[in-house]
Amino acid sequence: MTAVQQQGGAPPAPVPAPQGGPPAPPGGVRPGLADVRARAAAMPPRKGVRRAIPRTNSGRIRAFVAGVVVVLVALLLLAWNGVDDARTGVRVIDTAGPQVIATGDLYFRLTDMDAQLAHALLVGTQPAHQADRAQALARYDASRSKADEALIQAARLARDGTERQTARSLLDSLGRYEQLAGKALLQDQNSPHAAGPPSDQVTKMYRSATDMMKLELLPQAYNLTLDNGTIVRHTYEDKRSAVLTGRTVVVVTGLVLLVLLAGFQWSMAKRFRRLLNLPLALTTVAVVVVVAWTAAMLGSQASALSKAKTDGFDSILALARARAIGNSAQADQTRFLLDPERKDTYEQVFLSKSQTVLYLPADNLTGYQDAVRGLKGLKTQRDDKPILGFLGTEGRRPSSDAKALDDVLAGFKKFQQNDRQMRDLVSSGDRGQAITLQTGQAATDYAAYDQSLVKLAAVHQATFDGAMKDGKGGTKGWQYGLPLAGLAVVLLLVVGVRPRLAEYR
Amino acid sequence: MRSHRAGRPTRWLRATALGVAAAAALTACGIAGASESSVASKERLVIGVNADQPGLGLKTGGGYRGFDVEIAKQIARFMKVTDVEFKTITSATREKVLRDGEVDLVVGSYSITPERKTEVAFAGPYYVTHQSILVRAADAARVKTVHDLAGRRVCMVPRSVSFPRVQKERGVPALPVEASGYNDCLTKLVSKQLDAVSTDDLILAGLFAKNATDGGPALTLVKTSFSDEPYGVGIKQGDVDGCEAVNKAITRMYQQGIPAKLLQAQFGSSGLEFTKTVPQFEGCE
Repeated sequence: MTAVQQQGGAPPAPVPAPQGGPPAPPGGVRPGLADVRARAAAMPPRKGVRRAIPRTNSGRIRAFVAGVVVVLVALLLLAWNGVDDARTGVRVIDTAGPQVIATGDLYFRLTDMDAQLAHALLVGTQPAHQADRAQALARYDASRSKADEALIQAARLARDGTERQTARSLLDSLGRYEQLAGKALLQDQNSPHAAGPPSDQVTKMYRSATDMMKLELLPQAYNLTLDNGTIVRHTYEDKRSAVLTGRTVVVVTGLVLLVLLAGFQWSMAKRFRRLLNLPLALTTVAVVVVVAWTAAMLGSQASALSKAKTDGFDSILALARARAIGNSAQADQTRFLLDPERKDTYEQVFLSKSQTVLYLPADNLTGYQDAVRGLKGLKTQRDDKPILGFLGTEGRRPSSDAKALDDVLAGFKKFQQNDRQMRDLVSSGDRGQAITLQTGQAATDYAAYDQSLVKLAAVHQATFDGAMKDGKGGTKGWQYGLPLAGLAVVLLLVVGVRPRLAEYR
Repeated sequence: MRSHRAGRPTRWLRATALGVAAAAALTACGIAGASESSVASKERLVIGVNADQPGLGLKTGGGYRGFDVEIAKQIARFMKVTDVEFKTITSATREKVLRDGEVDLVVGSYSITPERKTEVAFAGPYYVTHQSILVRAADAARVKTVHDLAGRRVCMVPRSVSFPRVQKERGVPALPVEASGYNDCLTKLVSKQLDAVSTDDLILAGLFAKNATDGGPALTLVKTSFSDEPYGVGIKQGDVDGCEAVNKAITRMYQQGIPAKLLQAQFGSSGLEFTKTVPQFEGCE
């Protein structure tokens, strides 16, 4: 009746594989099996890969089941690997990101120390300016203590000998700077003067201090925070691409598994004459769900990482730098008034720092300030002529808040306008008025501009925090979900094949 | 019956082996590494340098010499590259050769500017120079600051930003005398066709040393420092890893005090003061 019975007694024929139909109803006797065995034994030994292909129905089923289980395990492991990459990425960026931003604060605090020192020396020691001087000195102290804190943080993030040496060298230079600053202040106290340039001796001392700040402290502080920033960039690039690769691999493995399951289904349908094995069909559905769900989760993890890095971290860091460099430019105005002999240098570096913050091509400071005044907005930039500098880049970010950005630009314009007025007063010989402006209204306006930068950065901080929250929430519970999903698939598979296998027992 | 029972595990085993082989083949397809073209992973570097800048990059019979060339060698050394080839670049070609990949790095008195940063990336700077003034020793007493150049004949090299800095940025009414390059400026200064050369102090110090070697008349380098010119290492845009590796090399070089020695050796005779500590980097992103 069956093909097996017909072929049972036939001589070894070049039949590639047995044509197995359902054997006699299960019971103690299994006539088909003995026949198959005998025939298999009689067949000439197959060579190469073909030897691995099972020749019996039960063998085939086992092979399919084993194949499905192995690919399933591979799928789950790959998915787990992707989840792990995503989690590591989120964790590292979530902890290192804020730390890096904190070290970025080091540069700001250092420039502020030097700015406050210059301010204190400029306003002098007379009773009329006592309060102003005391305030500058209090800010100097506050910045020094914040700088120490940030430096310790930066030293902790140092990853190799070179970076640690930079951190050590910074600590050393900071100590020497403080010594010089202390001496200059003491000497200034002992040689009272009206608001304006202090005694030659004090000016000389201040020069040593500010040169040390400019040539030793600030460059190393900046470079160290750049080094720190690479941790975030490397983690981001590695993990994001790992997550995306993981997604592709999961999808491909999932497809292989589906093909295998379809083949299984087809082979069962053909050999056992059943159109649909329901549990096997459910297995297939379960696999589709697991793969689609995992792929979607990994995709959203990658985009959370990308959002945190480009819309959050990068902007926050760039704005922190814009803030630090702007603060240092403002100190160059004070130095310009404090040390007339170096006025050309201080004016040029003021221009160069202003251009670092917001670049507009110009021949000189006056031309630059005219260009700044004429600037309509930062959001509307021509593609072929982008505005460069920190604020220009910020303006091109789609995620940047338009209102906050307008406030920043308005503040920057005011900053440059006050600068023009201050320099005009000096040129016309009215240094006293210039100093009053610089330490009074201009300082207030600058503080407002600085606050607008802080507000703009807060928008990006919120983006960063939101993306990190999504990132952390996205993989929650997956350490349980994946094994459970795997178990469910295996159970469905067993339910599907057990009755078929039992037929051969 | 017995043989059948014994056979079951081996059959499952064989089936499993088949599956594992399939899975392994699958995974192998997934892990295909992208090839890296970053300067950071190269074993051989082609570095573009100037060939006509005394003290900085000068091509002589035996090869290239100067501060930039020595810095380039040190960068390669700290990046653990022993195979280095130098190529001549000019200010007109340096962006193109970097973009086309003809050179890996450019170390050639290449000031970092926002406009240039849109075309190439910069590691470093490895040194920050300041604009100063070179005059005949006889005029030294009368030229103390950039403002003293008013009414004097000052060398102007087309495309160089130095003369515009005096005339437009500082607003000093100096009289331009055109020259083909800074070597030509020196010739004209010596032959009294002009009174002063104003540009980056390292270029001036190189001219000063060349003049001394050539036995020219006494010159004086007036340190005015009215600008910061950061000399960067040009690198192909987007090679962030390469840029970071160069920065690390520059940091190490300074931590070992190497640039100070190189500067002293090349320019010590001019009496110029040098910065011995690492400059503030631009950042690689």
